[in-house]
Amino acid sequence: MVVLMVALLLAGCVSTPQSEQLLASAAAGSGELSLSRELDEVAFYPQDAYQCGPAALATLVSPAGLSVSPEELKDEVYIPDRQGSLQAEMLAATRRLQLLPVLIAPTLATLLAEIDAGNPVLVMQNLGPGWMPNWHYAVAVGYDLQAGEIVLRSGTIRRRVTPLSVFENTWRRSGFWGFVALQPGQLSATLTEQHYVAALADYLEHAENTRATLAARAGVTRWPGNTLLRMMLAETYAGGGDTVSAEAAYRDLLEYHPEYAPAHNNLALLLSARGEQQQALQHARRAVSLGGRYADEYRATLKEIQSRF
Amino acid sequence: MKNANFRKFLIYFLVILVPGGSLCSTVNAAMIDSRLLLQEQVVSDQRAQLLSLVAREDVARQLSELGVDPVNAQARVASLTDAEVSALQQNIERLPAGSGALGTIALVLLILILLDIAGVTDIFPKV
Repeated sequence: MVVLMVALLLAGCVSTPQSEQLLASAAAGSGELSLSRELDEVAFYPQDAYQCGPAALATLVSPAGLSVSPEELKDEVYIPDRQGSLQAEMLAATRRLQLLPVLIAPTLATLLAEIDAGNPVLVMQNLGPGWMPNWHYAVAVGYDLQAGEIVLRSGTIRRRVTPLSVFENTWRRSGFWGFVALQPGQLSATLTEQHYVAALADYLEHAENTRATLAARAGVTRWPGNTLLRMMLAETYAGGGDTVSAEAAYRDLLEYHPEYAPAHNNLALLLSARGEQQQALQHARRAVSLGGRYADEYRATLKEIQSRF
Repeated sequence: MKNANFRKFLIYFLVILVPGGSLCSTVNAAMIDSRLLLQEQVVSDQRAQLLSLVAREDVARQLSELGVDPVNAQARVASLTDAEVSALQQNIERLPAGSGALGTIALVLLILILLDIAGVTDIFPKV
């Protein structure tokens, strides 16, 4: 009797609306996803002791043709004292492998859509209840909407088949945190503009120039009106010494947003550096007249260019 | 690596375009870095989120009961510096995650944070 009451209480406070909705629309044949999908090609690295972080990361990047062992990743993402890995370090280690980690929108539908498109998703779960947390990283590699199941490479189990509703609960406790690892230049189906811009900014810190340019250009192609992506693209060119392409990138940006002062400022400096003072002056003046947060910098740019006449 | 190159590029500009003379000035001619621009955008999004939190009916009611004029709280959020907005947002992100509706504990903590903003309390040291 007590057991029944406890069970009822627990059932009452846990609902899994996302799973229910997905399963209902699949049953009605109105969902956009394939009914089932499994990425068999994703390798499996069983974890040692508490090291789910390195194991999950090695698993995630395997389809990109990278064969790194959890052992090699251990120093980068495992903190012995805490017997675990930090989320930020999981992303950083992915970048060091020259792949672009992008957070997915925090919904079950997004997660399944990524799998359906061929991208495994590294997820953080809390397998225990709130008062006995058991944080865990796993890689979602498959699902079956008719059976209501998700397939994870998890811990020491190659195919950990979990009911979708149970997964929704354990994943929710991490705030539905998960990411895909893209080849630079690759875009995935569910990417949001905001997540891509944020991911790219971090990626550019350490990526080789050609990869950085590939990733930035892919973003510009998908979201041509995004000023930040175009600024980053120009920076990747300038960083690699290709000032001609950098200039072109700033000019392209200005076609979309003629009143974007930072682009006028940067273009003015590029032009001035290669002796096109007249053109440089025009853009520097434009930046000053537009003003904004960096108005002081624009005035300094204009002053410098004027002094070169 | 790339960004290191970009920084070198910035320095190159500073060296070429700012020859002496400007030692007394704090602003130099410089490329505007996209990371700065991104940061600016992130903070303005965070500020908008804070404002919408303060505007929520349950939050505003709690604030009123504690003697804080919600309109005043709005004005305070608007006048926070960027660094303060980011620090506050971090405190809020550490609240226990709920599935949409804020739980009771989260709401209490949120109210405490907002009271800090309004200058009634001084609990969260980073702000």
